[in-house]
Amino acid sequence: MSKDSQPIIRVNSLTKSYGGFHALRGIDFEVQRGEVFGFLGPNGAGKTTAIRCMLDLIRPSSGSLLVAGHDPQRNPVAVRARCGYLPGELRFDENITVSAALNFFQQLRGATAACRRRAAVLSDRLELDTASRIKNLSKGNKQKIGIVSAFMHEPELLLLDEPTSGLDPLVQQTVMDLVAEVQHGGATVFFSSHVLSEVQAVAGRVAIIRDGSIVEVSDTSALSARGKVEVRVRFTCPVPPEKAQLAELSGVTLLAFEDDGRLLEFAVSENMDGLVKWLAAYPVATLETRQCGLEEVFHAHYPGKEKQVSAILPS
Amino acid sequence: MRSFWTIFRFSAWRLRWTVLGWGIPLMLLGLITTPFYDLVAENERQLRPVIQGLKPLVKSFIGGEQAEDLFTPQGFLALRYFAFLPVILGIFASVVGSGMLASDEERGILDFLLAHPAGRSSVFLGRLAATFLTMVAILLLAWFGLWLGVLRAESLNFPPGQILLPYISVLAVGTFFLTLSLALSMTMPSRVTAAMTAGFIVLAGEILTNLAKAIMELKLAAKFSPLTYFQTNAMSGLEIKPLMGLLAFAIIWTVLAWLGFQRRDIRVAGDGGWKLPFLGRKNRIN
Repeated sequence: MSKDSQPIIRVNSLTKSYGGFHALRGIDFEVQRGEVFGFLGPNGAGKTTAIRCMLDLIRPSSGSLLVAGHDPQRNPVAVRARCGYLPGELRFDENITVSAALNFFQQLRGATAACRRRAAVLSDRLELDTASRIKNLSKGNKQKIGIVSAFMHEPELLLLDEPTSGLDPLVQQTVMDLVAEVQHGGATVFFSSHVLSEVQAVAGRVAIIRDGSIVEVSDTSALSARGKVEVRVRFTCPVPPEKAQLAELSGVTLLAFEDDGRLLEFAVSENMDGLVKWLAAYPVATLETRQCGLEEVFHAHYPGKEKQVSAILPS
Repeated sequence: MRSFWTIFRFSAWRLRWTVLGWGIPLMLLGLITTPFYDLVAENERQLRPVIQGLKPLVKSFIGGEQAEDLFTPQGFLALRYFAFLPVILGIFASVVGSGMLASDEERGILDFLLAHPAGRSSVFLGRLAATFLTMVAILLLAWFGLWLGVLRAESLNFPPGQILLPYISVLAVGTFFLTLSLALSMTMPSRVTAAMTAGFIVLAGEILTNLAKAIMELKLAAKFSPLTYFQTNAMSGLEIKPLMGLLAFAIIWTVLAWLGFQRRDIRVAGDGGWKLPFLGRKNRIN
């Protein structure tokens, strides 16, 4: 197998424990070259721990890792030379200017002319004032320094940990555009986030991590397709609460019962046939449908958040 | 090697204000202290009986048996200037050494730095070399101040090379505490704890070394104090053995610190603070 056909990240049975606390419980996944891979999970799930293992910032308790063809523990410098990293909590020496910080990072990467040129282009694009002292910058502007530093050397692998954190919507969009551009240029992006919509927007595949375990790895489109369809129906006259129980309709869940039964919301996980036939018995004024996305699938791995029908219907 | 030089240059540049902040006061201390020798020499007849009449315990803090050397130019500089320098530099080294890596680690800066193609050894050695250079620069400023003071004082006449010798001994003591606090910061839960422990050893060592001049029973214990190996009278000749002893320990602390840094998990921002090992640590995981 040629090097290019190998996965750029290969994680096997990776565990990381701190005393009795298990941050990673034997995770396995692979990221192929050239893809944007979403790494989805709430705060504390183990996303940052996994990324920090990839860069040899922390050492796994067991398991193995291969990043850009190298074992991070044996050859961390080779791994870091091929990666761009944007951490979730980005801190700098506050007393220096943005240009001094970027110059330092460029020198660590060999200070090539191409690297300097691209840093200047990125700074302009992100409207980053390089003459300012870092201590005078907002959180969002500090995040921009991290973005420039991560992208400036055109790495083959980008490890982005909550990359849009603290950014305004316009800059968030610029970051998403950058991710799409580097992928188009052949780079791989490991996109860790708890914001489902942005993962859905950029990632071709996604891994969901929960309490240190990977609970699902799948194509984003396949996962999204598994999401339910939400149906919002307004009736011209009220539907009696007892009729809205829908117990006999499989795959249909009542989400809301409002306006004395004139406005009902349903979630349909299978086909719509049963619901449409049930609706035919009532005078429907309007009907709206919405395809739920990754969020639904994500929350399915975090049960206990759905309301009981008895709590929705009036007593 | 490239990343070593990059980190060395950047770290030395970051420490430029530290050089001025510590170096200029020490330079002024030299300038201010030296003119007093003329005054002491003029009043020798009145002051000598006072020193002779002091109890041994009190006398131990102004040089012990060498207290009466105060009236010689060399003894004056040794007792009124060089005696304080290892404590001042020891405290400085404890603070800077403990913060060399741990401070940036606790602030979350090290995490991002180490995500760049720089090995841990490069970061460690680059920063250590820059910190050592900072200490040398501070001592050179102090030496320059003392030399200017000597030039101004009527009764002092030393060549600049001769007054440089005690600074070499001070540098050895400083290097000992720099590397000790660095090693402590790699094993203790926070930078503050490491700095306080190293600072305590400086102060306790100074007290022990002084008391041992008056209390015979403490002589054995004083052998374990690094300050005992500082050569106050190095102007009359620098002994290599104590110098090498201090530097040998500095190498041991450096190796231990390097091993600790190689093996440790780099903490994320916000860790640290005043914690003791037996109280446990709460890990931040994201």
